[in-house]
Amino acid sequence: MSATLDSLNVGDSAEIVDISSDCTRAGRMATLGFIPGRRVTVTRLAPLGDPISVDIGGQEISLRRAEARLIQVKQA
Amino acid sequence: MATMDSRKSQKSSEQCPLVALVGNPNTGKSTLFNRLTGLRQHIANYPGVTVEKKSGLLRLGNQDLDLLDLPGCYNLTAVSRDERVVMDVLGGRHGLRRPDLLVFVVDASNLKRNLLLASQCAELGIPAIMALNQCDAAKRNGIQIDTALLAKQFGIPVVETVATRGRGVDDLKSAISNALSNPSFLPRIHWPECIAKGCQVLQTGVKDLGGDGVTQAEALRVLFDSDSVFTCGISDKICLKKMVDAAHQDIRGLGLSPGSAEAVLHYRHLESLLKGVVTSTGPIARSHESIDAILLHRVWGTLIFFVVMYVVFQSLYSWAGPLMDLIDTLTGMAQGFISPLLENMPVLQSLICGGIISGVGGVLVFLPQILILFFFISLLEDTGYMARAAFLVDKLFSWCGLNGRSFVPLLSSYACAIPGVMAARTLSDPKARLTTILMAPFMSCSARLPVYILLIGTFIEPRYGAFAAGWALFAMHFIGLALALPLAWLLNTFFLKIKPQPFILEMPDYRVPTLRNIFHRMWERGREFVLRAGTVILAFSIIIWCLLYFPRNPSVAEKIRTDFASNPTTSISKDALEHRIESAYIEQSYLGRFGKAVQPVFEPAGFDWKITVGVLSSFPAREVIIATMGIIYNLGADVDEGSEDLRTILQSEKWTSGPRMGQPVYTLPVVIGIMVFFALCMQCGATVAIIARELDWRWATFSFFSMTTLAWISAVVIYQIGKLF
Repeated sequence: MSATLDSLNVGDSAEIVDISSDCTRAGRMATLGFIPGRRVTVTRLAPLGDPISVDIGGQEISLRRAEARLIQVKQA
Repeated sequence: MATMDSRKSQKSSEQCPLVALVGNPNTGKSTLFNRLTGLRQHIANYPGVTVEKKSGLLRLGNQDLDLLDLPGCYNLTAVSRDERVVMDVLGGRHGLRRPDLLVFVVDASNLKRNLLLASQCAELGIPAIMALNQCDAAKRNGIQIDTALLAKQFGIPVVETVATRGRGVDDLKSAISNALSNPSFLPRIHWPECIAKGCQVLQTGVKDLGGDGVTQAEALRVLFDSDSVFTCGISDKICLKKMVDAAHQDIRGLGLSPGSAEAVLHYRHLESLLKGVVTSTGPIARSHESIDAILLHRVWGTLIFFVVMYVVFQSLYSWAGPLMDLIDTLTGMAQGFISPLLENMPVLQSLICGGIISGVGGVLVFLPQILILFFFISLLEDTGYMARAAFLVDKLFSWCGLNGRSFVPLLSSYACAIPGVMAARTLSDPKARLTTILMAPFMSCSARLPVYILLIGTFIEPRYGAFAAGWALFAMHFIGLALALPLAWLLNTFFLKIKPQPFILEMPDYRVPTLRNIFHRMWERGREFVLRAGTVILAFSIIIWCLLYFPRNPSVAEKIRTDFASNPTTSISKDALEHRIESAYIEQSYLGRFGKAVQPVFEPAGFDWKITVGVLSSFPAREVIIATMGIIYNLGADVDEGSEDLRTILQSEKWTSGPRMGQPVYTLPVVIGIMVFFALCMQCGATVAIIARELDWRWATFSFFSMTTLAWISAVVIYQIGKLF
């Protein structure tokens, strides 16, 4: 099932398929580990619901929903 | 003597090798830099950008080295000139000196991601060594690193360090020394055919188009950053874009998307090199998990956040008070000591006491707040809490182009904009930092409070009661923020052309902070402020003194004395006579004349010339208004906001000429207009100086004029609407 990272619930885990954004932004996210094939788990939401915090390869990274929306994921 | 001579000769021949520290944020790079250089540091800005250049002297036996602490970054991507600094230094562009050796500082807990930057830099062909930092934390997290294998695979020396404890620093020093005489290089990634070809096409294409000529490393930046600021000196952007698009098409042919291709390929390259280097025992046990469960909890996390911020704010707002009072007292004592010595040189006496000593005092008085704020900022950053705090409140700011990291600078600006503007350094996104700095002076700082108290206490409380007074005071503190956030939105949406960057925060591991690091940061910021902003503030102080003092024609005083002497019916005390003379001098001063001349400008706001002079004289520092008012209303400079005499005079002050002759000057719309004017106006030379220091003079000028205009418009609107009722 294909979805975007911002649609996952806390505790959900998925595999990154692609990043649909301009090169620079996608490049930045890819540098921090958001690359196709990696598993990502949503760990928590900020008190106001945005940003979200995810676990990627043992790293805790926070990103805004607007950016999470650019990351296409596949839930197993 | 010998060392001085050797240093001099080294400097003059410009032969000391340049060593640069390169690494991701949160790797302890700056701590390592401090360990290596001690206090022999120099801070400046890179030419033309607002990025801080930290350099220092590293002494290895009898050899001196220049050590450069490059800004922390995750990769070489650059959409702004600020971000381009790292690449410019590494490529030796814009007259910057290219380093002779790179020291990659990498976090042992997160080796692969940290090495991505190193892998990108390998393209530049600069000799390198690696400092494997925070080894202790990695071991605690169950991560074992085979350092010897790491060194073998990457072909460069690797030194294990724990910068916070100073472990491995001596080994690193000797490794640096060895590497300079015996250089080794990082292995370069083997690019797929089409990317290598794309680079070549770009390189030759740039030459054909009459560009500067680019290296392969720079060509790669053009290829992978669609918003790249590496324009290679070519004006024909369309042609450049065609070449890039063609290469992107080829990359897609490899089954990769152009955006992530670079990172994906580097990671593949690194994975093959790192085979067998890292072994983690069992699942990675993350120490921060249980702490985060509380600190990032919806309810508890938010509560703790507000408690922490309350403590930070209180310490700035209240606890800095006694220290600031002490500085004021010392300034007063210095004036009291010097003043009698210069009794027969009144100009010099006034210059030294009123201009220089009070100017120096005016600089030092900011130090307690700056030091206290940076104590907390270092503490919050070093423990790892700052990133969490930004995560918690980001939503409050994201809509207007700021981010969660803007909270601390804006909050501290409620005590004083100076430390607030300086604190904006904690924002890594240049656009958000710029916006935060421009919004900081809108927060109602403690220097505005006396004005509010005087006017609310004189005009609102007696007439409308304590409840209304309380609300008025609250409203005055709120108005700046209420206007600043929409203004930030406007600025970001319509004026700043830099593309917004994703706000992606790495949540670092929690760490125990070291006092050494905290004090270093306080010392560094305090020194920075005094040396760089302080000199400008002092200059402002002296200029304003001149404008208020000169021309000081003695006939002014003579006239008042003879008037009173010839008129025996008006008996007056000696003090009162002195106050009258002082008042007359202010009226005659350049600033007083200027105030009278520009009074028509403030006419639509209902200000008379006295208010206008008061407003003008408080441009260098708004708290001066009370003393100026005291002088103008013949009470002497020694009044405060609680002064009953001043309040009575203000209440009974009437227009002496013009259409409103005989009517009270301070009507409610005028009073509110003055307060709003003070709330929104950039009446603080020190803030202008610090913005110029942190950004540049253009932004400082922009900030000054836009705030002043906004303040004027608001005061006029309030008065004109108020007149209708």
